[in-house]
Amino acid sequence: MGTFKMYREFSRISFQRSAAYRFDVWTRIAGNIMFLFMWGFIWYALYLGKETVEGVSFPSMLGYIMISQALQGIHSAGTQLWEIQERVRTGDIAMEMLRPYDYTTRILFSDLGSIFFYILTAVLPLYTVLFLVLKPAVSLTFAQVGLFIISAVLGYLIRFCIEMTFGLFTFWLIETGGVEDVFYFSISLFSGSLVPLWFFPAWLEQVARYLPFQAIFFTPNSIFVGQLTGPGIFIALLNQAAWLLISFLILRLVWHRASAKIVIQGG
Amino acid sequence: MVKSLIRGIVMYLYMVDASIRAQLQYRYAFVMNILGWAMTYAGTAVTMWVLLFSFGALDGWVFWELIFLFALAVLSWGVCMIFFFHFRSLDQYIVNGTFDRFLVRPVHPFFHFMAMKFDVGALGQFLFSIAAVGLAYSNLNLHWTWQWAVFLGAVIGGSLIQGGLLVAISAVAFWTTRSERLYWVIMWPLKNLMNYPLSIYPRLVQLLVVFILPFAFVNYLPALILLEKTGRIFAPFWGALSPLVGGIFFWLCFRFWLLGLDRYKSTGS
Repeated sequence: MGTFKMYREFSRISFQRSAAYRFDVWTRIAGNIMFLFMWGFIWYALYLGKETVEGVSFPSMLGYIMISQALQGIHSAGTQLWEIQERVRTGDIAMEMLRPYDYTTRILFSDLGSIFFYILTAVLPLYTVLFLVLKPAVSLTFAQVGLFIISAVLGYLIRFCIEMTFGLFTFWLIETGGVEDVFYFSISLFSGSLVPLWFFPAWLEQVARYLPFQAIFFTPNSIFVGQLTGPGIFIALLNQAAWLLISFLILRLVWHRASAKIVIQGG
Repeated sequence: MVKSLIRGIVMYLYMVDASIRAQLQYRYAFVMNILGWAMTYAGTAVTMWVLLFSFGALDGWVFWELIFLFALAVLSWGVCMIFFFHFRSLDQYIVNGTFDRFLVRPVHPFFHFMAMKFDVGALGQFLFSIAAVGLAYSNLNLHWTWQWAVFLGAVIGGSLIQGGLLVAISAVAFWTTRSERLYWVIMWPLKNLMNYPLSIYPRLVQLLVVFILPFAFVNYLPALILLEKTGRIFAPFWGALSPLVGGIFFWLCFRFWLLGLDRYKSTGS
C-alpha cells in the first residue's frame, strides 16, 4: 500500500503543476475544439443529401466524432511520444532510473494527475455544453455510460503501453524519425479516431480489427454512440483487456531490455 | 544598390551552403526526416481515401481533386519551409538572449535570421506533393496550357502567405517572448482546415480565410481554376490573384516584424 501512496503523490504533484500552467490547458483545448468543428463540418458535408450510410445516420456520427475528439483531448494531456524520446536522447531518463521507483509506473501516475486536471477544468465542462447544444444521437443509458468509461480507461492504458514502447525504441535507434511516423499514422487511421472502422473498405477493416489501435478509440466511441450493444460490448471489452495484457507484457519486456542496454550520449 | 544586392545574394548563398552542410552531417537523420515528412502526408492522403470510400465525394470534390487541393498546399508549404520554417523557433532565441547576436552584425537582422537555416527537410514535402500533383493530373485527365502560370503563381503566392504568417507569429515574441503556442493555435488548425474544400465551412470562416488570413489563396481558390470547378461563391479568376495577395500579405507581416524588432528589448542574461 505504501508504494501506491508514493505513486499517488506523483499524480497530486502533476495535478498541481497543470493548475499552475493553466494557459497551456486553454490553448490545448482551443486547438482541440477547432479540430472538432473542422471534422463536424467535413462529416456534415459528406452526409449532405444522405440519410444513412452503412446504417449510420449523421446525428450518431456527430456523437462519434465528439466523443472521439474529447477522448483525444484527454489523451493529449499525458506524456507524448516525443517527450519520452527526448528524455532517452538527452539521458535524463538515467537519473530517473537511479531513483527507487518504476519509471513507467511513475509516468503513468504523473499523467493521470494532469489528465484529471484537464478533464475537470476543460474537457468535461466544455463538452457537456457542446453535447447539450449540438444534441448528437447517443445512447446514454446508465449501463452504457458505465461500460463506456471502462472501455475508455482500457483504451487509454493500451495507448499508454504502446506509446511508451515506441518511445523506448529510442534506446536502440538513437534517431527516431521513422518510428514516430509509423506510430502517429497508425494511431490516427487504425484507431478509428477520425474515421470509424465501419466506413473502411472491407479488407482494410479486417486489417484494422486485428491491430491493437482500434481498442484505443474505436471501441469506446462505438459503445458511446450505441453502435455496439448487448453481448457485443462484452466481447469488445474482453478484446480490449487482451490487448492491454499483450501490450503491457511487451512494454515490460522492452523496458527490461532497454534498461539493460542503456547508452548515454553526453553527460 | 546593385552592389549591395549582389553582396546580399552572395552572402545568402554562402550561409545556405553552411546550413546544408550542417544538416548533412547526420546522414541517417537527414534521410529519415525527409521520408518521415513524406510518409506523414501520404498518411493524410490515405485517410482522405478512406473517408471518401463510402461517400464518393465531399461537396462535389472526388478523391483526386481532394488530393490535388491537399498537395498544392503541401507544395507551397515546402517552399515556405525552406526559407521561413525556423521563424517558428524565434522565441527560443529571444528567451535565451541569443537573438542579440543578430543585431550586432552588419546585415539586416531579418535577412540574417532567414538565411540562418535552409531547411532541406522540405524535400519530403516536395517528394509527396510533386508525386501527388502528378498522379492527380493524370487521373483527372487535365491538359494545362496557360494554367501552368496560375499553378506557379499559386505556389509562389502560397509560400508567401504561409511564410508571412510564420513571420508575423514569430514577431509576437518581441512583445511577449513566447510565440510558439500561437503557431499551434492559429496556423496549425488553419493549415489543416484548408486541406478540405472551403465551401463546406460556414460563411464566417470563408470570409476569414479570404480577407484576413488569406489562406484561401494558398490552395482552394487556385484549385477552382485549375480543376475547372465553378465555385458557388467565388468567381474563378480570384485564384489567379495568389501572387499579388501573397506579396501584399507578406509585406504587411514583414512590417509587423520590423515594428516588433523596434520594440525588442533583450532579455539579457
